[in-house]
Amino acid sequence: MSVRWETEGLQTVGIVCLVIMFLKLMHLLGLIDITETESSDSDLELSTVRHQPEGLDQLQAQTKFTRKELQSLYRGFKNECPSGLVDEETFKTIYSQFFPQGDATTYAHFLFNAFDIDRNGSIRFEDFVIGLSVLLRGSVTEKLNWAFNLYDINKDGYITKEEMLAIMKSIYDMMGRYTYPCVRDEAPSEHVDKFFQKMDKNRDGVVTIEEFIETCQKDENIMNSMQLFENVI
Amino acid sequence: MAAGVAAWLPFARAAAIGWMPVASTPMPIPPQEKTKGKDGLIILNVSGTKFQTWRTTLERYPDTLLGSTERDFFFHEETNEYFFDRDPDIFRHILNFFRTGKLHYPRQECIAAYDEELAFFGIIPEIIGDCCYEEYKDRRRENAERLQDDEEMDMSNDAPPVNLTYREFLWRAFENPHTSTLALVFYYVTGFFIAISVMANVVETVPCGVLPNRSKEMSCGDRYALAFFCLDTACVMIFTVEYLLRLIAAPSRYKFMKSVMSVIDVVAIMPYYIGLVMTDNDQVSGAFVTLRVFRVFRIFKFSRHSAGLRILGYTLKSCASELGFLLFSLTMAIIIFATVMFYAEKGSTASKFTSIPAAFWYTIVTMTTLGYGDMVPKTIVGKVFGSICSLSGVLVIALPVPVIVSNFSRIYHQSQRAEKRRAQRKARLGKIRAAKIRGTNVYMRYKQNGLLINSLEEASKEAGRALVAKAPSPPFESQHNHLLHCLEKTTNHEFVDEQTFQANCMEISVMNKSGSRASSLSSSPHGLSSCCSRRHRKKSSFSLPSTNNQELSTIQIRERPVANSRSSLNAKLDETVPLKCDKPYITPSMVSLSAPVVTSSDGHGSITTAAYSQSNIVRVSAL
Repeated sequence: MSVRWETEGLQTVGIVCLVIMFLKLMHLLGLIDITETESSDSDLELSTVRHQPEGLDQLQAQTKFTRKELQSLYRGFKNECPSGLVDEETFKTIYSQFFPQGDATTYAHFLFNAFDIDRNGSIRFEDFVIGLSVLLRGSVTEKLNWAFNLYDINKDGYITKEEMLAIMKSIYDMMGRYTYPCVRDEAPSEHVDKFFQKMDKNRDGVVTIEEFIETCQKDENIMNSMQLFENVI
Repeated sequence: MAAGVAAWLPFARAAAIGWMPVASTPMPIPPQEKTKGKDGLIILNVSGTKFQTWRTTLERYPDTLLGSTERDFFFHEETNEYFFDRDPDIFRHILNFFRTGKLHYPRQECIAAYDEELAFFGIIPEIIGDCCYEEYKDRRRENAERLQDDEEMDMSNDAPPVNLTYREFLWRAFENPHTSTLALVFYYVTGFFIAISVMANVVETVPCGVLPNRSKEMSCGDRYALAFFCLDTACVMIFTVEYLLRLIAAPSRYKFMKSVMSVIDVVAIMPYYIGLVMTDNDQVSGAFVTLRVFRVFRIFKFSRHSAGLRILGYTLKSCASELGFLLFSLTMAIIIFATVMFYAEKGSTASKFTSIPAAFWYTIVTMTTLGYGDMVPKTIVGKVFGSICSLSGVLVIALPVPVIVSNFSRIYHQSQRAEKRRAQRKARLGKIRAAKIRGTNVYMRYKQNGLLINSLEEASKEAGRALVAKAPSPPFESQHNHLLHCLEKTTNHEFVDEQTFQANCMEISVMNKSGSRASSLSSSPHGLSSCCSRRHRKKSSFSLPSTNNQELSTIQIRERPVANSRSSLNAKLDETVPLKCDKPYITPSMVSLSAPVVTSSDGHGSITTAAYSQSNIVRVSAL
């Protein structure tokens, strides 16, 4: 009895095999379509987004760069981003190349948000050059404003401890593992505490823009360091 | 490397302002820009093709020629550009490297030319991008193999220097049978005996007819047992002698004993010796019969005689992974199908598929499309699975085979190419030698003209000028000739061409150190005879010809103070002309430079020595 079941079972299996193979063959020949796995032709999404910057004269009016400087900046910009727009991934890649030992992606993310003024996910050349103009040719107050904007992640006008901790961690991440002395886990939060002690005058747990600028203007080290990168271009 | 994104460095530095308010310690002083490099255009003129780029583009990679101050050496003031006398097509790629940070390798360029350009401009080839790196490495490997082949050919075609030890001579004879007639004879004799031995093994199993006192048919081996035994003994003697000779001659005996060919040799002759010591014991004779099977390994000895066999073996070795995969997939398929067939045929009566291992045989026969027909499925299910089995067998076997075939084809073509190159080489070397001799003749003519001018100077200037009314030689040639002349003056010997030297050497050896001179062009007979005789007595190992030349040249130099019988004119020049040329000890280096260019001189034995010494002297002049 069991022998008969075995053979009948095998017969069924054989027939099922044959049917499946036949179907596959038909699908391969394109005669029928098995609609489950429709492989769409999405090999490469051609990025059709492209952006041309405003004219050189307008940019010259908006920023404090000379014509030649703008030309040089644009050439470098276009070399890396031929489409005229920097998205966050490209930005992170470029920035990470300057810090090979650590992980610069988090800080690059914050930087990206600081440069991307209109928050549309990509930096155009105008945003780029306006930001640089502030950083390199702006007054000290403008620079401090920009730094505050960087630290204020949610752009609500206050720097909370959590925001500062995130920024601090991202900066320490850029150092990587091989440092002397070793970066302890508490180092960022200790640094944040020191920062708040210095900046937070009324001890309300947040730092406002006025507190920030006031404290920085009193600190000699910070004021000196603001002039450091004047001649970068 | 951040050089690719060097344009963004100002941005990265500007963004550092974000760290300033949180900094724990004061910042370091930024580096001073010494001279704000004017970001101007640089014109690079490469053999007439003008390339232009920004200065900063080039300065991204300061350790290359273009990115450092090294390019100032190529600055051409009149046209205010940098001029490079190199290949513009390849330069295009190099400049693209500076622009994009990625180096590409163009497929149509010669790998050697490309490497040279890279080396000139100071770019390491490891920077080549992933898109082109594989191709580059493949081409490079091919080229290296080809060069290695050429070198090996060079070394093997070297004229065997005199006085190899007998051991080395023997080894050479074994490895390259073409070097001497004795080796060639030995080569063919062994080949012949291998064939005889194998044929004897085959024939002795053929049934030879019945003897009157026996009932069943006897094989030839039993009938003519003595004859076959003698034949076998003779063959084994030859093989043993050959093996022992090879063992003695091998430079590294241990390595020789490990090599495949020697193992085959041993396996081929062992059964005979074991059979000699074995008694006619019944228990052991079974094993003895098995040993006789190993006699068939003698056929593998033919691989020394046939390059094709060697290639086949080499191919199989190099395709080991593909063969392994084939084996593995076949095993899997066999097990699967054997199981299925067994269970499918279990129900049918008098089925031959008694067990799964029994079904293995059916599966193998079916998958390789042999189809003996001794086991066939009878049930419908069995037939269905049997057909699936045969179809899949074709596929599984057909897949790895092209890989093996292509490997074999590549290696075979490579060996064909090697053969062709060997044949072409002789012709090429002949032409190169002819060119060298032409070069020598230029110098000879220059000297003759010079001597003529000097001797006829007093006579009449016009006549002298008429004699040498040829086109003025180009400055390079005239300077080269002057250099050779200086050398002659330094060593107080003269360059001669091959025939003159040969004549001199024969004369000298005949006259045996007599003081007379053969011609005005010969150097001191003392020197010549000593140099000829010294060559014979020299004990040289064939890998250091340069030391011989050094000794030769020192002999020449030592002969200098000896009063030589040369024309009075030359002697006068010797004393009067101060030596502005190189010092004598430069000579050995110049001589030894020509030593590696040993052409394949044919001829063996004593002729070789004379030819070698002659060719040595000739090459000093050929430079």
